[in-house]
Amino acid sequence: MKKLSLCLLILLSAICSFQSIYANDSDIIYQDSDYNRLKAVMQHVDNVLYYGHGYNQETLLLPDAINTLTGEPARWVFPNRASVPYADLANQQNFFRTLVALSKVTNESKYKEDAIDMLSYFMENYQDSNGLFYWGGHRTINLDNLEVQSTEGPNGPHELKNMMPFYELMLEADEERTTRFMKQLWTAHFEWATSDLNRHGSYSTAFDGNVFGQLIPDDVIKMDEMGYPIIPNDSPGKLPFVNAATDLAYAAFALSHQTGDPVPKQWAEYLMKQYHLASNPDTGMTVYQFKSTLVTKSLEDCSNPAYTNSGCGDRVARQFRDFGSIARESNVAWKNTQAVYVDNVLMLLEAAQKYGVSYFVDWARDYLEGYLEYAYIRIDGQNKIIPMFIDGTVTYGYVVPEVGYFGPSKMRIDYVDLPSTYLLPIFRTIVQTEKIEDRAKLWGYLRDIMHTFGLGDIGDVDGLSPKLELDTAIDDPFALMTMVELYEFTKNSVYLDAARTIADNIVTKRFHRGFFVESEIMLYSRLDQPDTLALLTLDAVLRGISLTDMPFYLADSGYIHGYLLADDGVTEDRSYTQNVIYTKTIYDWE
Amino acid sequence: MKKLYLFWILIISTILLVGCQKNETPVPDEVPIDVYQKLVLAETLSGMADMTKTVIRVSGNLGLPTEYDGVTITYTSRMPNIIDNNGIVTLPTTCWIESRNQQGGIEEAFIGLNDNWPVVLDVVLTFENQTRTAKLLFVVAPQEGYSCNKYLG
Repeated sequence: MKKLSLCLLILLSAICSFQSIYANDSDIIYQDSDYNRLKAVMQHVDNVLYYGHGYNQETLLLPDAINTLTGEPARWVFPNRASVPYADLANQQNFFRTLVALSKVTNESKYKEDAIDMLSYFMENYQDSNGLFYWGGHRTINLDNLEVQSTEGPNGPHELKNMMPFYELMLEADEERTTRFMKQLWTAHFEWATSDLNRHGSYSTAFDGNVFGQLIPDDVIKMDEMGYPIIPNDSPGKLPFVNAATDLAYAAFALSHQTGDPVPKQWAEYLMKQYHLASNPDTGMTVYQFKSTLVTKSLEDCSNPAYTNSGCGDRVARQFRDFGSIARESNVAWKNTQAVYVDNVLMLLEAAQKYGVSYFVDWARDYLEGYLEYAYIRIDGQNKIIPMFIDGTVTYGYVVPEVGYFGPSKMRIDYVDLPSTYLLPIFRTIVQTEKIEDRAKLWGYLRDIMHTFGLGDIGDVDGLSPKLELDTAIDDPFALMTMVELYEFTKNSVYLDAARTIADNIVTKRFHRGFFVESEIMLYSRLDQPDTLALLTLDAVLRGISLTDMPFYLADSGYIHGYLLADDGVTEDRSYTQNVIYTKTIYDWE
Repeated sequence: MKKLYLFWILIISTILLVGCQKNETPVPDEVPIDVYQKLVLAETLSGMADMTKTVIRVSGNLGLPTEYDGVTITYTSRMPNIIDNNGIVTLPTTCWIESRNQQGGIEEAFIGLNDNWPVVLDVVLTFENQTRTAKLLFVVAPQEGYSCNKYLG
């Protein structure tokens, strides 16, 4: 009897202990619904690999997007009606991140091995002798004949705009070719003598082994007597757009990290500093470019406002001249804001975290706080931006008198949407800000923006008392990644509950015909879409894998730009894949 | 002896099972106020944005609410000479922007194109030391007989 009672006691104690453990970790129990989401990602990946590789078995390359009705690659139709299935690896970086993430969460190495095989094949076969890869905005690979195709005339330039390649994996696949590319990216795009930066790089520029051998010059941006930046107007058509600079800087940081040579990193810091110096010291808002173009065209050519060539000088100064000297391309805060405040900030934060440039976090916070303080507004329950110049001069309601680079005559400047892509840069800036008191302002904006998106209340800055909308209908990958990172930051499992709801919504609303698409009726599944990577970040956290061990989301800005046949089948157009191809629905398919 | 054992087992089992229960916070008698939600409702329901939908053509008081359900609402204008911090409108005597053609010449078609002023008010809603910020953008027409000779290009 004694033994029996002892056994009973031990049994009861064991049950009690088990329940305690269960109660502590109940929020990270992996559930059937979690597995169903993972299964959807695996199915998508398997289908992309199956149909993508199935089109032309002589290559390891995949198309940028797949027709979800037929499994065929998306095609770029040139004005001469040549229909080209295209593979542009600059536009597939989130798929490579997805493959690596999938290997992490499943412990199956085959996905990552596939990614490395594809990248190795690409680098071996499609690197110009000067070091540049055949990829980016104007070059792609024709999957029919495996030849390089230019979409911008016969000799399209090299262009990366916020594509931020997955360099860690590329270096693992082929270090020599990757570092050669990183160096040549600067040789082809940066002018050492004048600090001009050209978004277009030539494939004819010879490789320079001593690319970073120059002395770092004085800052381009000087201040006037009032302490305001002077934007030079001496750039001969080589506009230093921040989205091109972001890629240059990112490559240089990764190169220094890989080789241990600090000089590329110093150049990257110098380059990004010019944008910082050109920012408005009163508002904190920053710039899209730190130079205006030199006037090189004749007065006669430029007298026609419809002629928007940058050789006629600053295009905003021409079209928005009524506003006086603040009207410069650099100072516009209602266009290209994704490049300035999302992609650029994400790169700055990545550089701070991985490459030790910690003061970039302060810059990122200044930019975002300034922008949101001056321009963020809620209109009819929606997150919007008041159009303005970076000194705070409002342009809302302005009716443009004449046609120009920014649009047609009589165009009225309206509020601009603030999309969910802003969530990650705002939140990551908060996380990387050391002093808690410095986090409060951005947290307040994040709280309001997320609430307005219908995600509920994320609570105070400690994240301990959120009242999230756990039945939210949001199916947004950026909201999902933010919720997952909120959990990682606070360890409050309510954020995971919300993340699971959003993730379920993504699968329900975006997973169709075996692929992730933007919505059920959209025809093409893009390899660069962020949905699968977002779902895998949640899966990783549910499995106890730290996000620092996962591929980091940086951008999904991949595109092709150039000449193509318009939808009417007759006229020639010059446009983007995002505007012409990825807008097609299943009803457009005959 | 058997009964004693059984008795002790029952006592210990009861203690253990009670110990297994989750620690739950006692439910207070009154539901605490959700301050954030209160601030959101004040922004939405106070009517402070009502006049942002139309062009303001008359000087006078906009009647901006300064309180809603215990929430204090204050305003700071970015152009106090047109709308002051109390919501008093003074129609401006000049146009907002004078538009001219690229050569700086006056064109009939551009006259009156950009007369109305966009005026932003920064709003702070406060309840129990918690705040929420908002913005309002009003469009104000210049007063009759206004001038428009201020080309900056």
